[in-house]
Amino acid sequence: MQRARAPETRGGPGRPPGRRELLAGAGAAAGLLLLGCRGEPVDVRDQAAIAAGGSRGYGGPAVELAFWTGFTGGDRLPMERLIERFNREHDNITVRMSVTRWGDFYQKMPAAVESGHGPDVAVMHADQLATAAVHRTILPLDEVTEALGLGAGDFSDTLWSAGVFRGRRYGVPLDVHPLGLYYNRAVLAGAGLGDAALPRSRRDYLAILEQLKQRGVQGSWVSPALFTGGLMFQSLLWQEGGQLFSEDGVRATFDAEAGVEALGFMLELIQRGYSPRDVGQDADSIAFTNDRNAFIWNGIWMINIYRATPGLKWAVAPVPTIGAQRAVWANAHHLVLARQPSAGERRLQASVVFLDWLSRHSLEWAEAGMVPARREARESAAFQRMTEQAIFAEQLPVVRFPPAIAGIDAVRASTLDLAVNEAVLLRATPRAALRRAAREADALLAANLRKFARAL
Amino acid sequence: MSAVDVPLVEPGQAEVDGGAQSAPGVGQLRGRGPARSRWWAPYLFLTPYLALFGLFVLAPIALGVWISLHDWDPFLPSSPWVGLDNYADLFRSGSPSRGNFWRALRATALFTALSVPVLVTLPLLLALALDRSFPGRSLFRALFFAPYVLGVAVVALVWRLLLDPHVGVINHLLGKVGLPAGTGWTTAVPWVWVSLVGMTVWWTLGYNTVIYLAGLQNIHREIYDAARIDGATRWQLFRHVTLPGLRPVVMFVVMMTVLGSANMFGQAYLVTGGGPGSETRTVIMYIAEEGFRSFRLGAAAAMSYVHALLLALVNLGMVLLFFGRGGDEEAR
Amino acid sequence: MRLPRVQGSCPVRRLQVWRALSYAALILLAVIYLAPVIWMALTSLKSPYEATAMPPTLLPARVTVESYEALARSGSQAPVLRWLLNSVLSAVAHALLVLATAAPAAYALARMEFRGKRLVLAAVLATLFVPPILFLPANYLIVRSLGWLDSLPALVVPPAASAFGVLFLRQFFLGFPRELEEAAALDGATRLQVLWKIVLPLSKPALATLAVLSVLSNWNDFLWPIYVLFNPEKLTLSPGLALLQAAHSTDYALVAAGAVVASVPILAVFIAAQRYVIEGVARTGLKG
Repeated sequence: MQRARAPETRGGPGRPPGRRELLAGAGAAAGLLLLGCRGEPVDVRDQAAIAAGGSRGYGGPAVELAFWTGFTGGDRLPMERLIERFNREHDNITVRMSVTRWGDFYQKMPAAVESGHGPDVAVMHADQLATAAVHRTILPLDEVTEALGLGAGDFSDTLWSAGVFRGRRYGVPLDVHPLGLYYNRAVLAGAGLGDAALPRSRRDYLAILEQLKQRGVQGSWVSPALFTGGLMFQSLLWQEGGQLFSEDGVRATFDAEAGVEALGFMLELIQRGYSPRDVGQDADSIAFTNDRNAFIWNGIWMINIYRATPGLKWAVAPVPTIGAQRAVWANAHHLVLARQPSAGERRLQASVVFLDWLSRHSLEWAEAGMVPARREARESAAFQRMTEQAIFAEQLPVVRFPPAIAGIDAVRASTLDLAVNEAVLLRATPRAALRRAAREADALLAANLRKFARAL
Repeated sequence: MSAVDVPLVEPGQAEVDGGAQSAPGVGQLRGRGPARSRWWAPYLFLTPYLALFGLFVLAPIALGVWISLHDWDPFLPSSPWVGLDNYADLFRSGSPSRGNFWRALRATALFTALSVPVLVTLPLLLALALDRSFPGRSLFRALFFAPYVLGVAVVALVWRLLLDPHVGVINHLLGKVGLPAGTGWTTAVPWVWVSLVGMTVWWTLGYNTVIYLAGLQNIHREIYDAARIDGATRWQLFRHVTLPGLRPVVMFVVMMTVLGSANMFGQAYLVTGGGPGSETRTVIMYIAEEGFRSFRLGAAAAMSYVHALLLALVNLGMVLLFFGRGGDEEAR
Repeated sequence: MRLPRVQGSCPVRRLQVWRALSYAALILLAVIYLAPVIWMALTSLKSPYEATAMPPTLLPARVTVESYEALARSGSQAPVLRWLLNSVLSAVAHALLVLATAAPAAYALARMEFRGKRLVLAAVLATLFVPPILFLPANYLIVRSLGWLDSLPALVVPPAASAFGVLFLRQFFLGFPRELEEAAALDGATRLQVLWKIVLPLSKPALATLAVLSVLSNWNDFLWPIYVLFNPEKLTLSPGLALLQAAHSTDYALVAAGAVVASVPILAVFIAAQRYVIEGVARTGLKG
């Protein structure tokens, strides 16, 4: 084909183009730029005030609401059942759920909302609220929660305050989903270990793993991916008394001695032969369901997945305390209202009716493998009968959330997650990997602070 | 040999050089045909395409430069002018994008250097085999092309499970025949590169094969016959008839494959997640992360311009290599 | 088959042995080559648990279509058939748009003289090797301004501006015999009539080839659709099938079933069309 000869042709890029062509091109680009600039956004507070009207219910003409979540796993069907029920109970509101992988969800949400293709109501993680707030993707909910009469007493102080960013509330907590310790009872029994021998401390944990190793079982596979290795690291970091980032979001602190200790423990598991090297993404969990792995630090959302695995004998426990204090990673799903490009008064009010209803039905949602955010649901006898969920819930007093800093998720993903990955795959020592990542995170945090100071 | 080349090159060359002083014979139509067409006819013919070209190629190139000069977050009310900072960051020590960008560029270059030779030679051999006529030829051609139509998402997910170091099929099979079964195909260097190159070759091999097959059809049978009468061996036929006849096609394949490899994204994104660490995070993957996950569209735009510039240099180098040497041969 | 130059006492038998060996090698190669696809198809018939069993099974221990049922059931969340439809619509519309815009432009650049021709050619050539990521941020903003986000035009139109089609067809037209066009021009046909009645009908192989190449590139596009499509029912297959991979656990049987549903139609089309494609490519510009 001739095209490959392109750069040889005379009169190619080197020849100065005509002035008219240049001008025409510049004009077109300028016109597009103007199009690209945004007009004054609809005042979010007005929208919030309108939405609050939904606390009195919705009696208008039929509306259809778009509800966006990232529930792609064992949590999808329970949410679908809840929505079916809501739709049955409400004649004039129809909710339609759209599921996107969480990884893509947060990239798409601001673009979709801004272009008018977004949802009315959505579920977001606690640590994503700040970013969405500065991007004006979601509405402040102070008026809404006030009108609904919701307060810290209905949830818990930690949970309730996680929905606040720069003095305004952006999310209503739906659930908490902590990490926990899943154990394979068949594997433990094969090594002569019963449920009574559950590890509580570092010493217990290593002793049991040693016993498993004698029987030829590598009992605690360490994953290099965020799920589950990254979450394990964060839990260990907090147990060692460390922090991910400084309170004000200016500095990364995960490279302090606590972080080195935490990552060092994960490496110790590999070096002592309690975990194989080169564990691929999800391989820890696949090994667990195949009776090749005894323990996995995984999220509560795996309950339904493991329950559906034929022949798997398993149970859960709080994660052992490896460091100096109890602590465990957790995140929370929050219900949010998306900013609307035009004043959709009815939709906003109907959205609040849905949000309120879903929040009050958080007990049913617990079946998805979640700890309900509502105190009354958590303390109900019905929840206590959900054995595994209730055991996860025991950890609530010591759960730690990722910090509410705008842009924090991307910073962590591009620095800390890579450092954990490198160290677990034996490409760098914990100290070197964490230090490099922390310095990089510092620079990103500083840039984010400057950038997001412009917003709100 | 140039007998094969000539008709392929001449018309295009003549036309580009064309204009007023084009060779007699080539422009004969101009005397009669265009007399009937209005002066605006060519512009009319060009308008639909040029509208698209202007809006979705030229305008983005210009707009991209503009974006790269700002700290551009499309979801913030204002994006301040930062001049050349986004470019300077790629060279300033202490800036996170410097290390990451060049590391990503290294990953892309490594992938390109490893995959292009295989993707240029292997399909050629396959095409030579599939060019002979034998019963079932069409079926075989289709079989080797099949993976290409699957799309990267499917290919990557299938290979991720095949390649998993501990639960994957490949290590299991290797173990069964007594070979080392613990290779970190998706987790360890250099195996991640072997995996990514291997699955890319598997996926796109058929595409290049089809192009070669097309090229082989255009080498005149008479040349083979004449050479054979002169007593040429098979190797001589390949060396002196097939290869020169395919030269433009090989060059096309090389350039398209380099372009494709330099834009690799889906395989690394879905199979290795860029790991271990950031070893297999390609330029495109890093730019996409910066632009759409960290909402730093300005920095992402600046990086894509540097990437495009480097790629242009590589292409220019290849063209010089091909034509520099080709010219010598023809002169001899 | 061209007769290889065989010397020796028994050329026929040697030839047969050689042919049988070649076939065996080719079949073996093809089977190894297609093993991942075959394995994928077999996996789609396993239970989700068996799909990740250790050690892995080759043949399903128990053949089940539960993953196909799950796909059908998941309806609004993973509408694979809808994605397939979107992919087909997008690819076909894209190919048609490429043909409709590139053919007249290529003809003008091949056969007509006008002011600015060299500039246009140079501009188009210069953008041929620009990596697509360069256009991504700006095209995203442009598509947003046009209100095309989350809709088919976002997939169909911007990629149609690529330089490839125009240069490809121009190359073909350059090698086209002029006599026919000249005869038509003598009969008083306008340029448009010449293009429509003479050139295009005789360019069918080139047009078909460009159409197939356009369909394939649109079909395989992964990066762009991720950013411009939002709702699950608007997705095409590439980003859609990636969605089947959940955040923290992947149901491989489901993914495999989705892949089978997605690939069977396009494979069938390709097997039917492949000879045409190869001949089309051959008769087009690829000769140089």
